[in-house]
Amino acid sequence: MSMAKPNLEARGKVLTKLHGREMVNCFQCMKCTSGCTALKLLELKPHEIIKLVNLGFVDELPTSDIIWTCVTCLKCVERCPQKASPYHVIMALRNLAVEKEAKVPEDYLKAVSHILETGLTDTPKKIVTRKLQTVDRDSLKLPKIKPPMESFQSALMKAMEEK
Amino acid sequence: MKTAVFWGCRILTSQYAYELSLREVLPKLGVELVDLSESVCCGDPIKSVNDFAANYLGARVIALAGLTGLENLLVPCNRCHFTISESRNIMKSDPRISGKIKDLLREEGLQYSEIKIWHTIDFLHDCIGIEQIKKAVIKPLTGIKVATHVGCQIIRYSDLGRVDNAENPRKLDELICALGAETVDYEEKLDCCGYSLILSHPDSALSLTGSKLKAVQKLPVDSLVVSCPDCQTMFDSKQKDAETTVGAKFSIPVMYYTQLLGLALNVDENRLGLNMNQSPVDQLSAKIASHQNISRRLSGT
Amino acid sequence: MVRDGFIVTKIGVYVCHCGLNIAGVVDVEKVAEYAKNLPDVAVSRHYTYMCSEPGQRMVQDDIKTLGIDRIVIAACSPKMHEDTFRRAVSETGLNPYLTEIVNLREHVSWVHTHEPEKATEKAEGLVRMGVARVRLLEPLKNRRVKVEKSVLIVGGGIAGIQSSLDLANAGFKVYLVEKSPSIGGRMSQLDKTFPTLDCSACILTPKMVDAAKHRNIMLLTNAEVMEVKGFVGNYEVSIFKKPRYVDAKKCVGCELCTRVCPVKVPDEFNENLSEKRAISIHSAHAVPKIAMINPNYCLRLKYNKGVCAKCQNACEAMAINFEQKPEVNQVKVGAIILAVGSEVFNASKMAELGYGRFKNVISNIEFERISDASGPTGGKIVTPKDHKMLKTIVFVQCVGSRDKRFHEYCCRVGCMVTLKQAILAREKIEENVRIYVCYIDLRAFGKGYEEFYRRARDMDIDFIAGIPSEIHGSPDGSLYFDVYDKGTNKLLQITADLVVLGTGLVPNRDMGHLSALVHASRSADGFFLEAHPKLKPLESAMSGVFLAGACQGPKDIPDTVAQASGAAAKVIDLLSNGEIELEPLKAVVNKELCSGCNICGSICPFAAIEIHLEKAEEGAKYRAEVIEAMCQGCGLCCPACPSGAIKMPQFTTSQVLSQVEAALAEPLVKGGK
Repeated sequence: MSMAKPNLEARGKVLTKLHGREMVNCFQCMKCTSGCTALKLLELKPHEIIKLVNLGFVDELPTSDIIWTCVTCLKCVERCPQKASPYHVIMALRNLAVEKEAKVPEDYLKAVSHILETGLTDTPKKIVTRKLQTVDRDSLKLPKIKPPMESFQSALMKAMEEK
Repeated sequence: MKTAVFWGCRILTSQYAYELSLREVLPKLGVELVDLSESVCCGDPIKSVNDFAANYLGARVIALAGLTGLENLLVPCNRCHFTISESRNIMKSDPRISGKIKDLLREEGLQYSEIKIWHTIDFLHDCIGIEQIKKAVIKPLTGIKVATHVGCQIIRYSDLGRVDNAENPRKLDELICALGAETVDYEEKLDCCGYSLILSHPDSALSLTGSKLKAVQKLPVDSLVVSCPDCQTMFDSKQKDAETTVGAKFSIPVMYYTQLLGLALNVDENRLGLNMNQSPVDQLSAKIASHQNISRRLSGT
Repeated sequence: MVRDGFIVTKIGVYVCHCGLNIAGVVDVEKVAEYAKNLPDVAVSRHYTYMCSEPGQRMVQDDIKTLGIDRIVIAACSPKMHEDTFRRAVSETGLNPYLTEIVNLREHVSWVHTHEPEKATEKAEGLVRMGVARVRLLEPLKNRRVKVEKSVLIVGGGIAGIQSSLDLANAGFKVYLVEKSPSIGGRMSQLDKTFPTLDCSACILTPKMVDAAKHRNIMLLTNAEVMEVKGFVGNYEVSIFKKPRYVDAKKCVGCELCTRVCPVKVPDEFNENLSEKRAISIHSAHAVPKIAMINPNYCLRLKYNKGVCAKCQNACEAMAINFEQKPEVNQVKVGAIILAVGSEVFNASKMAELGYGRFKNVISNIEFERISDASGPTGGKIVTPKDHKMLKTIVFVQCVGSRDKRFHEYCCRVGCMVTLKQAILAREKIEENVRIYVCYIDLRAFGKGYEEFYRRARDMDIDFIAGIPSEIHGSPDGSLYFDVYDKGTNKLLQITADLVVLGTGLVPNRDMGHLSALVHASRSADGFFLEAHPKLKPLESAMSGVFLAGACQGPKDIPDTVAQASGAAAKVIDLLSNGEIELEPLKAVVNKELCSGCNICGSICPFAAIEIHLEKAEEGAKYRAEVIEAMCQGCGLCCPACPSGAIKMPQFTTSQVLSQVEAALAEPLVKGGK
């Protein structure tokens, strides 16, 4: 048992990222957690995340693994009776994790750098069919990929500096 | 009619069957697809990194669509549709953020303007219409039973204005009935495929996929039909991996609705990318063919 | 007072601090100082609470000793204390209508809380306008009108019945109008009542019978209010009585007709869990016990052919009359009590819980019918359709309530209803049935309620602190779902034979129609709006219209009965003298200026103006006349009149324009627009 100290400034920061979803109105009905897709396998408890943030115990969350377990099914947003939207709170905490340079799963950072380079998260792959033939966009006669304008990279980098 | 189309990343880089089948069936329904000038990400993975940048990319897609001068933008991927819808919502409701985004767009020579955003399901159901689809059917899929999986991000969250009802989505079912097939409801219909976790928590992702496949396997259905490249990746491409994770054996044909639609429109299998489906879709094609033989025999043709 | 062509008057200005409500934002001393320099202001004071006894006495003393003859009170909204100050003024002998209220609270301090300087300047401007107007106010006399010592009560549930009995016993004539064929309302559908577990019918039916037999109560069942004209003390009401197709004077309630009727009809009283016949008596304890034919189902009435008539042939009292026509009763009443109750939330709107999809997910009112011995299962607590025995029952709270998607308010009774039903289930079911209550907060607030909650816990009823997200059904009719419990931090996986949803109370579907009929407003939650949420919960803002029971806000039986008796007392208070005083704020026609063009009459929303041909010296002339009984003082007619022939006292053109001129005399806010 430890006496944690609330960080109301960090809580205020999370609030600004919520675009009108009403995190502070959460009255802990447990509906989100009862229906959370990630609860059974990964122990994600959306109600707990909201309560922690509401009371100001924000600091432990961006560095945790738990905020990366959300499957973004949006059931909690759909059904919350107070529009507290745990999904949006979790996304805000993920943004804070990136800002603080805490641990971010590799695949997100890989995706971001690939997008900056090519515009897409990945390069077109070769696919093996059921009959064990290899095909790709060209062999399927699909239109060529069109890379983004030159201005894209700097615009995106500028956008990512926005806190 | 013409519509602009935004494919996102997964369809362009691995889920070719969705693009192939859409490009095949839409012209048969009188729709011409107009590609955007760029192949670029909608911003979905960036939502977890920087919300503003993600909204920027979403708004940027809308701006690119504006360049085509068309009124409609078709977005076949569920996640892209959600991301772009959230961007559009921010542009409407938050003047501070929309101002900044518009400035950034201007630096790229782009302008933000309103456009109607569709997903495959509501584009076919509401824009083209069930009647049109019924009329276009050449080989009705009589006797075929299907389970549907519409996914998560096109039905939730309702406040944003989504493609179908969040607790009782029926449009995909109706689209399938329009082809002469039947759909079967099941309790797990609204469960998530688990795609989001495939890279960071693959076991959990496949466990979710496997649970759903277990439920579908128990149903008297010939196929599971999806409308999102991520859901298809899990249920189709990774069906075998899911078997290992949940300790079961699956043999469920999984395909895109546009592929099923193509079959009903008498389009050749290969032109619908059915060879790329990893699940046993041959089972379904064989059944469709045999049913057609039976009905031909019965009607004396 | 006019002397030598000038208006000479001594105006007193009193600026109220209202504690800190006004003074916390507005510099009240400055405003009082400012007012001293306004023309004709003889005295200008400020005080902490003008409405208090010393505050009022301050005004009265100035009238008596300084000869003040016009009063400006700069304080809170006139809706609060206009009457208070008018009364204080009239006690000195000065005409109360020479008082002007300037609103410095709702119009200044409460809306400009963060701009004290600008707020003070606005306050000064409003006082300047008030002074300009008060100078031109004319003395007016309240009119005394006779009132009808009779009351219309809309709604025959426990609220309407209680009010009726109180008023009838006090000697008033009561018209009790009930839309369904029997009085009793929601309470007659209940099995037992919390927290005493009294049998609901046993405590209700004696009152129902009393109401039916009372010589001062006229019961109008199967009837609805069609039109309400007039004003407080003098309403004219039209009541539409739907035909029963059965002669009420002949029917003895033997139910022979019901036995022979071939048409089955869903039984609404049993929440459609059972069927009755097209001709039937409303319920087991119906008052009046008279049969009624449902014309939407009866073969003869629906298809308008001479078929069937089995009931008519069976009826020994010869009471069946297929030709019966609707009746319209016109009555005169002095006051109206609205007691129309509420409805139960339609849980199919919360689709994730499966109501409407799964036969064994039911609402709390359906459970009540199942538990009632006179209900569809004979009082056995079993599944509604298959009558199967129960091994696990789960109650889920707050369905449709405390939910921004549906109704934000707490339904107040849901927790107690569920506790009652859980206890009844435990008492009535012999086998060891598991009973769970999934709740968010458990509210047992009333007398004996917390003890009732303890009783439930003593009976091995398990309380889960959390509600499920979705409910699923198995082919055998059972339900299964997950729910996270805050106390144990465990995800519970539950299988139940019956799920009872704690559906909340919502405004009755007739609220909009009734609201328009009597001009009673509704609050944001859809229930009728009381005149003041703390101090006037029994009346609407509309004079003469009172509120009783759940139609003003969801509540339980004790609160309903208290409010019903309270509303009756208010009516007695209003009508007992046989006459009331009315504000003289009704339109007045200047016959000399009126040309009879009827623009005013065509605009009047209350049909209170008529054109008459009047004989005068120059011959007959058309002139408008205001029917004071209907005029509500809205003032629409005044600006419409092209010759200024019709005017509203206290709102004449010169009075209003003087305010406009005063407003524009200096900028209200320095440097402002």
